[in-house]
Amino acid sequence: MSSIRVTGLRVRHRKTLALDSVDLALGTGVHGLLGPNGAGKTSLIRVLATVAQPSGGRVEIVGQDSTDQRGRAEIRRRLGYLPQEFGYYPGFTVREFVAYVAWLKELPGARVPAAVERAVARVGLADRIDAKIKTLSGGMVRRVGIAQAIVNDPSVLLLDEPTAGLDPEQRVEFRELLRELGASATVVVSTHLVEDVAAACTEVTLLDRGRIAYRGTPEALTALGAASHGPGDHPIERGYTAALRAHRAPRGTEAAR
Amino acid sequence: MSNGNARTWHASDGLIARYADGSLPEPDAWSLEKHLEGCAGCAARVSRAVHGTAAGAVLAQVRESVLAAAPPVLKQVAPEAPPAPAPPRLARLLWAVGPAVRGAWLPAVLLVAVGAMALGYGGGFPDARALLLAIAPVVPVAGVALSYGPHADPLYEVVAATPAGGLRLALTRTAAVLGVSLPLLTVAGLLLPASGAPAAAAWLLPGLALTLGSLALASFVGCRTASGVTAGGWLCAVLAPVSAAPADGAGARLAEQLSRCLDGTGTQGAWAAAAALSAALLVARRPAYDRLIRS
Repeated sequence: MSSIRVTGLRVRHRKTLALDSVDLALGTGVHGLLGPNGAGKTSLIRVLATVAQPSGGRVEIVGQDSTDQRGRAEIRRRLGYLPQEFGYYPGFTVREFVAYVAWLKELPGARVPAAVERAVARVGLADRIDAKIKTLSGGMVRRVGIAQAIVNDPSVLLLDEPTAGLDPEQRVEFRELLRELGASATVVVSTHLVEDVAAACTEVTLLDRGRIAYRGTPEALTALGAASHGPGDHPIERGYTAALRAHRAPRGTEAAR
Repeated sequence: MSNGNARTWHASDGLIARYADGSLPEPDAWSLEKHLEGCAGCAARVSRAVHGTAAGAVLAQVRESVLAAAPPVLKQVAPEAPPAPAPPRLARLLWAVGPAVRGAWLPAVLLVAVGAMALGYGGGFPDARALLLAIAPVVPVAGVALSYGPHADPLYEVVAATPAGGLRLALTRTAAVLGVSLPLLTVAGLLLPASGAPAAAAWLLPGLALTLGSLALASFVGCRTASGVTAGGWLCAVLAPVSAAPADGAGARLAEQLSRCLDGTGTQGAWAAAAALSAALLVARRPAYDRLIRS
């Protein structure tokens, strides 16, 4: 069963069409969302997070229609979301902050303290749980962002550029966490780091100019890269550029961005 | 267990030493072990003696491995015992309030209240209450503008994706803003000399109406613009005639204009009706609050 089902999705961002006729069905596992800047990754994640309104098409998450008010409340209860620009209250401690989000997500009060400690421990910040967020480094703040997203054990977890600002060791740990989360939840990760996708994702969706350019496993994308002689230092990077070019080719004369 | 018997004797140092090095005959060792079950003092002495022997290292190792295995078990056993006490009710209330009460707004409210008192008593300014009444209705409106929406709340994007986001959170934060500003400014007004200005509580209904009006309007144009419109409208209505007045008559002119806006059953009734109307509009516009982000 797919916990995310999108059909004919169309999203307008200011005057431009950010997403056009996107069909997507995502189930349990880690789904990498790749694509150049402006491809529509953030627009897609914001629609899935129920914070942006689609101008056309249908979005169904955990079996609920996201345009229906009651359905949206149910979706939001089972959702974890880390926005690309993660704002926070600098004066809050990590514990207070994550507990506040747990409260907003309507977690039963008795379960909040344990859920907060667990979420913070899972992102490796257990030793800084009572530190104020403004005293933390950029990478740590990012991890607080991941902790607030997973505090309600979400069925659908949406992470927009979660690895930005993490150092290599933290990224390795984060991929481990992703694999763990993907065992029971539908995780959508947008990223620019193709290695992350190769290491942690079960499936890849490549967006280009608001449309889906490629879908497949990381292995298939790597194989595509091995077969082509496109630019890139890593087979999956070559796969990425090969898939993009293959998608753009039939459109012919349209200027590349 | 024969407790009565166990109290009658204690193990001698020699006995314990022989037990520890293993030279004590078996029946005597059993007898000693039986005694140890009921006598903590002798048990501690035997334990110390045994730790001194070769067995000590093994015992220490056993202890380590038992302790290492224990924590996961403990965690599974005690999920009901929260690892940290739940935050107190007051702290949770302060959270709910959101950015305004923790940020610059609270000091601003205090400044208005204290400033009016200072003007009224320290500065010898006779129309301090009129000034306070002119500013007071704008204070909760400003609090709402600073509490909710993408411009005011750094967490807004996350909040918008939670079930508690939307109108419910906006109302929670508004209630907190009103809970702070209504009593504080009314008490400050009561403490000031009237000198022709309306009663200290006269601003309550207009304050409520303007706040609810801002919230209702925010569902169309966003929190910041809505607050600007209502607060600006009020200030213009109250202060416009004053700016035309000569400098020395400004205070009296302000009091006069305020009593036109606040005094009388009819006027207060109109404010109450405006508040009710805004509340009704707000309920009708509830779905818009789910989508307040202007992208």
